[in-house]
Amino acid sequence: MSPTNDNSSSVSREQVTEAYLKAIRLIDERVAPLLGKATTRVLVQGAARRIGHEYPFLHFLVTRPYTDIVPSVIQEQLSGVTSTELAAGLNALLDECFAGLKELTGDLIAPPLHDEVAHQLRQIQ
Amino acid sequence: MESSVQSEPQVEDVEHSAYSSSLGQHGERLTAIRQEMEYINTIGKRFVAAIDRFQVHRALLAALRDLYSFSACCILLKGDPFELFIIPSYPLNASFLEAMVQRIASAANALDFLDVDPEQLARTAYLDAPDELALPSSHEQARGGEIRSGLNIPLTVENRIIGVLSLFDEQGGTFDTNLLQLTAMIADYAAVALENVRLRERENALWREAEFERQRLELILRSMAEGLLITDEQGAIVSLNQSAQQFFAQTNFKHEVPLRKLAETSDVEWLPRLAEIVERALSGEVATNQELVIGEGSETVPLTLNISAAPLHEGNSISTPPIGVVAVLNDVTSSKQVERLKDEFVSVVSHELRTPLTAIKGYTQHLVRRIERRIRKTRNTPESNVQVNELPESYDLRSLSIIQGQTEHLERLVNDLLDLSQVQWGKLDLHYEQFYLADVLAEVVRSIQASAELHTIYLDIQAQDTAILADRARVEQVVGNILDNAIKYSPHGGKVTVRLEDLGKEFLINIIDEGIGVSTEHFDHIFERFYRVHNTASQQYSGIGLGLYVAKAIIDRHGGGIWFSNNQNSGSTFHFTLPRRPRTIPLT
Repeated sequence: MSPTNDNSSSVSREQVTEAYLKAIRLIDERVAPLLGKATTRVLVQGAARRIGHEYPFLHFLVTRPYTDIVPSVIQEQLSGVTSTELAAGLNALLDECFAGLKELTGDLIAPPLHDEVAHQLRQIQ
Repeated sequence: MESSVQSEPQVEDVEHSAYSSSLGQHGERLTAIRQEMEYINTIGKRFVAAIDRFQVHRALLAALRDLYSFSACCILLKGDPFELFIIPSYPLNASFLEAMVQRIASAANALDFLDVDPEQLARTAYLDAPDELALPSSHEQARGGEIRSGLNIPLTVENRIIGVLSLFDEQGGTFDTNLLQLTAMIADYAAVALENVRLRERENALWREAEFERQRLELILRSMAEGLLITDEQGAIVSLNQSAQQFFAQTNFKHEVPLRKLAETSDVEWLPRLAEIVERALSGEVATNQELVIGEGSETVPLTLNISAAPLHEGNSISTPPIGVVAVLNDVTSSKQVERLKDEFVSVVSHELRTPLTAIKGYTQHLVRRIERRIRKTRNTPESNVQVNELPESYDLRSLSIIQGQTEHLERLVNDLLDLSQVQWGKLDLHYEQFYLADVLAEVVRSIQASAELHTIYLDIQAQDTAILADRARVEQVVGNILDNAIKYSPHGGKVTVRLEDLGKEFLINIIDEGIGVSTEHFDHIFERFYRVHNTASQQYSGIGLGLYVAKAIIDRHGGGIWFSNNQNSGSTFHFTLPRRPRTIPLT
């Protein structure tokens, strides 16, 4: 998954976060009817745990559902993180989510959904 | 026309055909929906009927086999430890099983299950092979190449993931996106059924645990030597253990009737007392060491129980009214028998001691009088120029006075012992007579002073008229006992004051010493029988611990009061009051 913007300095943390949250919501929209409502939430939590050593600023997603992320949470948890770092971290998170989804259902859901999410992210750019 | 005629039916045919086609599609759709609902209904029934996890596995396998042909179905349930069930469709070789466990662990990791260790899963996995695999005819060779198809679906109950359902096959492309939703629905059924089984198992385990605890408690209560009585919030007996049932074998307690109501109508003599103890506990008080005589009065020592009753509060909250009472009953009959024997022994010994004591006292008195006569005679002889104090008779007289004083002390001790049983059984009789209290005090002071050389006893009479109607001998006994103590607990001598005050309707007698005083830990016990004060001083003090017990019983019987206080500097003061006239008309 490619980052939203190579030149992230012109994009705020909130914008970056919102873009990736939209991507996760799209995943949830597609996955929930097939694998249940809780699946995307735990996929994100598992992904956050696995990338925790590389992107510690995303560790709060291990215990906090992504649905709880609002501007005040971004302010509180991600202060001092640049938009570029954040985009890289969220991108890794998304990749891990897809890896998790692939572990669960192989190629049944992940490849087409990956294309759809990438397309959406490109549109947001 | 024809054509038009023909054409019309053609249009109708088309419309009819479209209509028929629409009806046909609609009918097909309805049939499909009906079939789907029947299928879902069948699956649902299988899961609902499953009462243990293996029946759930069977139902799951049957439902999934309608959709796919696969090598194995596995269920990983969250918990501590994780539980993995492998349900193979045919015998699988070890490498296939190992690969499955690895894939399950990876899926669990993706779903953020913590600490899933593939090795541990492999060790603890439960292989739930269908029965047909065990049949001799189906003894296939274990097979399984590599996993080419895999599907892991979270098992979810109320948005909570409780585990994961995994399907594996040797063939590629086994699982279909179009069937994924149906597979997820079957997984949901299985999840709910497994959760129900888990809850049922937990409930059964808790029930067994509670039942085990109940049986254990029942066994303990049944084995207790002490009786146990439990009432409800009304005071009606709800439970008696075996010992309690034996104690109350002669009594038929009506169930659900409060004890106080039973006591009103019953002719069982001790029931009101038992009801009173229970009522006290129901009012929130802890009643300890309450004696209840439940045996026949004709028995030498009737069956006697010592009862401690406490209120039962729900959830240990003492702010709420008690929901019942728990009372522990101890059979103290044997202690009472020993006590009785001891009292009888003491009584017999005291009687035996009294006879020689009377003789000693009498003959000493006789000798004193004879020597006094001799001294008077010598003093009256004109030619005698010897000082009276230097006469041998004077020395003898002093010695005899000491003997007299000690004899009287001994007599008081013996009297105390004799009085003990009378006080114990409430049979302390008083013989009232009119006398002057000041005279009695003077007499006792003189007698005790004779054998207390280190002490000076002062008599301080602060009353004009000291006439009193009381038991003279008993009053002497009280003053003597307290004075004996004052002397005994002033080992280095000193002043002892006996003060008599007129309070109008009664007299107050204070006996003030300069001795060692009384430590606070003895305050509550000093008037108990056989209670001895071992004070801080290393010196041992003689005595049998009955003086104050008997003194209190005598004063109480007179309708007076007795108490004590420590003096500001040293020693203590014993106070007692005596009414001028008895408050009730004396029988004697």
